[in-house]
Amino acid sequence: MDRKSLVRAAVLPVVWLALYAIGYLMLPEAFGSPRNIETIIRQTIIVGFASIGMTFVIAAAMIDLSVGSAVALVTVAVATALKAGWSPGMAALAGIVAAIAVGAFNGLLVTRLKVGAFVVTLASLLAVRGTAKGIAHETKIDANLTWLNDLTAALNAKTSWMLLPIGGWLVIVFAILGALILHRTVFGRNVIAIGSNPEAAHLSGISVSRVQLGVYLLAGIFVGMAGVSQFARLSVGDPTVAEGLELNVIAAVVIGGASLSGGSGSIFGSLIGALIMTTINTIGSQAGWPTWIQAIVTAVIILVAVGLDRLRSSRTSG
Amino acid sequence: MKGLLSFVLLASLFAVGCSGKSAEGDNPKATDSGSGGGKMKIAMIPKGTQHVFWKSVQAGAMKAGTELDVEVIWKGPVTENDKDGQIKVVEDFITKGVKGIGLAPLDDTALRIPVKESQDAGIPVLIFDSGLKDAETVSFVATDNKAAGKSGGMRLGELLKGKGKVIMMRYQEGSASTIEREEGFLEAMKTFPGIEVISSNQFAGPSVETAQTKAESLINANKKGDVFGVDGIFCSNESAAFGMLRALEGAQLAGKVRFVGFDSSDQLIKGLEDGHIDALVVQNPVQMGYLAVKNLVAHIKGETVEKRIDTGAMLVDKANMGKPEVLELIKPKF
Repeated sequence: MDRKSLVRAAVLPVVWLALYAIGYLMLPEAFGSPRNIETIIRQTIIVGFASIGMTFVIAAAMIDLSVGSAVALVTVAVATALKAGWSPGMAALAGIVAAIAVGAFNGLLVTRLKVGAFVVTLASLLAVRGTAKGIAHETKIDANLTWLNDLTAALNAKTSWMLLPIGGWLVIVFAILGALILHRTVFGRNVIAIGSNPEAAHLSGISVSRVQLGVYLLAGIFVGMAGVSQFARLSVGDPTVAEGLELNVIAAVVIGGASLSGGSGSIFGSLIGALIMTTINTIGSQAGWPTWIQAIVTAVIILVAVGLDRLRSSRTSG
Repeated sequence: MKGLLSFVLLASLFAVGCSGKSAEGDNPKATDSGSGGGKMKIAMIPKGTQHVFWKSVQAGAMKAGTELDVEVIWKGPVTENDKDGQIKVVEDFITKGVKGIGLAPLDDTALRIPVKESQDAGIPVLIFDSGLKDAETVSFVATDNKAAGKSGGMRLGELLKGKGKVIMMRYQEGSASTIEREEGFLEAMKTFPGIEVISSNQFAGPSVETAQTKAESLINANKKGDVFGVDGIFCSNESAAFGMLRALEGAQLAGKVRFVGFDSSDQLIKGLEDGHIDALVVQNPVQMGYLAVKNLVAHIKGETVEKRIDTGAMLVDKANMGKPEVLELIKPKF
């Protein structure tokens, strides 16, 4: 790790702790209880999974606006499979496959059409949401409760030894895997290379379109996990859920230190970014802020966090 | 480090500033929320916060809170109709440790997990406005839609003096509350042997636009030359009623047929004033918020509470639309 990323790695958790401390000052009872931390982490699982994938996409100087729609499609796929009598494990797998299919669609169009990731994924935002609504016949699909729903459920007396629900641990495991892929493999180095300078990457012999396709497929797996978690929380397949989720995911990745112009990204940072967003939300809810104030505060925190990050990096590089 | 420090300072200033301001604006009694004062705290979670309907529910809830000396925290999902957002709000109030939660679930199934978590944590949940399946809750406080539809039907029957041909334009497939209203209306029609329902299987669809198109074709189908073969019309929600009103006005038939609608809006009230609509069945959201808080608090204090509470609906017509208790419903001040 270079000095810049070391500084960033140290600063972000401190920012989160400071935010938590503010929460504690405002709401000592709630923010002093372990249940509050557990709840915040549970509420971060969906954005957390998706932000791991989005870190790859943004590091490669691309974008994925279809995340919310894909998550909705996954909930519909899982519920449909459960209703058809599939086992919960197979239903979850079906959901993840659906998300990977969306990733393949995005990747193929981006590499073939050459109209840019923004336009392609803007189109798939609409198309995938439409597909989800079509499969669900424009309504939601009820499913029976299974162990899938425990992935994100609050712990009870019998499960409190786990500290976090399984979904929370899975985010951590997937983040470690993601970080290893991004920083320790040829594929990860290629992602950063094409994100920094696609022409140079191409000249140095990297197959840019193959890496781009790979990024969307990989992101599909993480979006699939996010979708399964969303289904676990809702317990129904809902084609209207997660509208605008992609913006929260992008915000988390940007707070985490990635630049939208590509070439950088930290999965650890993205997760802390997601935690910061959830924590603001929790403070807002529990303090009873009107929703419009909460939206403005979140905006200010994003700007302040990213602004500080840019200041810091311009100082270290200059 | 300097940057970090200024961030923390800025953020804390902003956060504290906002909490103070919002507490004053939203609820003057919320200022002691952090210090854990002695007053009982309950949370009321609507489906959204923008619609006039929810503002009216909020007004009723706050009124009950003041009367009972209870702190009512009113908090909806940040994005309207965001089910996961509403789940988060419920979870956050469980960790905050309120004494009770009132919830208008955005989905009759998806909210069952957080409701159960709340009850496992010893926090009772009361459901208002829309039902929740498979859950044991304190009570369900909402309009009895069937009874409301029936009252609309009885009024139309009286207006027609018990005889004539009637059209009922439905709202939309799969919308539980309006289907109940339509059932109630048809039930009322059966009590008038002289009345014939000549159409009750047409759906207005989701918007005013679709409703108007459907209403126009219904009108044309029953028009023979200059003679309109319909004496009475009923529509089961606001958009259906407004679409019908516009179609009737376009066909120069407004005021010539007896017309009972459901819900209120500025345009529908104007229709009443012009004599183009004879009556509107209007729900009572203020009463809904009031009774939800009152019964939730009663339950927390150990009293027995009815499992199903009807918050009533009112027939508004030209004769009573100026009365203060009616004005409170049709022209709420926010």
